Amino acid sequence: MYLLRLALASLANRRFTAFLTAFAIALSVCLLLAVERVRTEARASFASTISGTDLIVGARSGSVNLLLYSVFRIGNATNNIRWDSFQHYAQDPRVKWAIPISLGDSHRGYRVMGTTADYFSHYQYGRRQHLELSQGREFASDPFEVVLGAEVAEALHYKLGDKLVLAHGVAAISLVKHDDKPFTVVGVLKRTGTPVDRTLHISLGGMEAIHIDWHNGVPARGAGRISAEQARAMDLQPAAITAFMLGLNSKIATFSLQREINEYRSEPLLAILPGVALQELWSLMGTAEQALFVVSLFVVLTGLIGMLTAILTSLNERRREMAILRSVGARPWHIAGLLVLEALSLAAVGIVAGLGLLYAGIALAQGYVQANYGLYLPLALPSAHEWTLLAIILGAALLMGSVPAWRAYRQSLADGLSIHL
Amino acid sequence: MIKHLIALFAGSPAKRPVKATQFLLVILLSLTLPAWASEPRELDWPALIPEGAPVTPPQLAPLHDMSQLSNALSAESAPPARQQAPDAPVVKGLDGQQVKLPGYIVPLEVSEEGRTTEFLLVPYYGACIHVPPPPSNQIVHIFSEMGVRVEDLYQPYWIEGKMQVRASSSELADAGYQMEAEKIYAYELR
Repeated sequence: MYLLRLALASLANRRFTAFLTAFAIALSVCLLLAVERVRTEARASFASTISGTDLIVGARSGSVNLLLYSVFRIGNATNNIRWDSFQHYAQDPRVKWAIPISLGDSHRGYRVMGTTADYFSHYQYGRRQHLELSQGREFASDPFEVVLGAEVAEALHYKLGDKLVLAHGVAAISLVKHDDKPFTVVGVLKRTGTPVDRTLHISLGGMEAIHIDWHNGVPARGAGRISAEQARAMDLQPAAITAFMLGLNSKIATFSLQREINEYRSEPLLAILPGVALQELWSLMGTAEQALFVVSLFVVLTGLIGMLTAILTSLNERRREMAILRSVGARPWHIAGLLVLEALSLAAVGIVAGLGLLYAGIALAQGYVQANYGLYLPLALPSAHEWTLLAIILGAALLMGSVPAWRAYRQSLADGLSIHL
Repeated sequence: MIKHLIALFAGSPAKRPVKATQFLLVILLSLTLPAWASEPRELDWPALIPEGAPVTPPQLAPLHDMSQLSNALSAESAPPARQQAPDAPVVKGLDGQQVKLPGYIVPLEVSEEGRTTEFLLVPYYGACIHVPPPPSNQIVHIFSEMGVRVEDLYQPYWIEGKMQVRASSSELADAGYQMEAEKIYAYELR
């Protein structure tokens, strides 16, 4: 114990260098843990976004592309598919439920999704959890009703009964708006931690209604214009949707139905298994993740080598200190222990400070990251994996500390007492 | 005003140091100058369409009508590759038996920790689209409490557990094998 006290006292004597060294380690530890946390949380949030859906069907593109735009609202669809095709498969005896979705519009950067009430009853996330309303109700027969995701309502301060205008396209700042047909907020969903939170849900009829007079690619003018009232009276059955999700009666039938959809003769379609597409996405991201992880490991290594350098250079200045300790009865292993303890305490302080930095950073950035990237970073205790990483860092510091310890161990008593010229 | 400015600049270099007030004047002038330049006309997009342009009547036919395509496609006469025997017979004797079966994992449910907790076990990985998908008696629907971290879809696994055989109850083709996995481990070449 007295050795540790001595080591700490010696460090306190060189507090500025010690502080810088510990700070370098803290920064590197913080970086490593942040990379790890973002990586695991990103995976977790991706994995928990969709559950219980057996097939996702869209226009022919790629499986990852279809998964990204239909579930994560990242990127855009290449084409729409016919309503008839959806009807054909929704009525298939192997299909338990089907959810049509229609995308392409937005409201202040949040995506708008046209769907049916089946979405609220069948869409599942996390561990087979269903969507729940925190207030209000689902959209009903009126086309101009919207149900907001939790984050949309919170960030834009909408309450039930508010009117909002949807914009054409998916840009955050839209120049072309569907301002002749405002929507009324009728419900707000409970927070799910998935892209559902950042989505505005309208009925397929609503999606059809805002585009009903857009047939020339621009909003209609003058007599071509169809008002909200006129639109209500019209047949708002969509002719096309963007994609649909299927739940099957028997999972065994997944492959056969997937193949059948992929070879559907009336229209080129693509059916994917979400789990498989997610796996493909991860193997794509895996390389980048690995690279980030390796870089942050090297940063930690650099921090530790910085510590080693600092201790090694200080050895020369501390010859006198060591010699005095030896002359008052310290054994060579005492000196070695002193240096190892010094390295360990530097690393430990660095790790603790790094953790502090990480949590401060998470606490500060949590809201921003959630709002902008849809990634929820919890202020949770380090996971087993993170503890292992920290233990490895401490172990590496111990190993590094033994280098100067070995050198000091070898130095003789006379070395520091005799005057070198 | 411009003359004044020129005089200001012409007079200043080298001969005498520019006074602070003159500097101020220049800065003030440069600030006010843009205001004199003619203001650009702000346009909105509808302004690009001439006033008297004929109004196109709303055309209510669906934009996306691929019915023509379906006619074209029907010329291709080969039927789609159907699943061989969706109600393929199953070996009833396997019901309740403790078995061990190797196969490829096709994930259905992935937990938040990234572990696959529900999957289909198939004899070959379904990348081959030249032949029909495997018949229903060549697929095992597997649940796993613990889950398995699938890093690579092309890695085969051994699955150990009790087999459940469900005979076909209706035309829904729900016949097939199910299993609650007890052990899952990588299949290695010996």
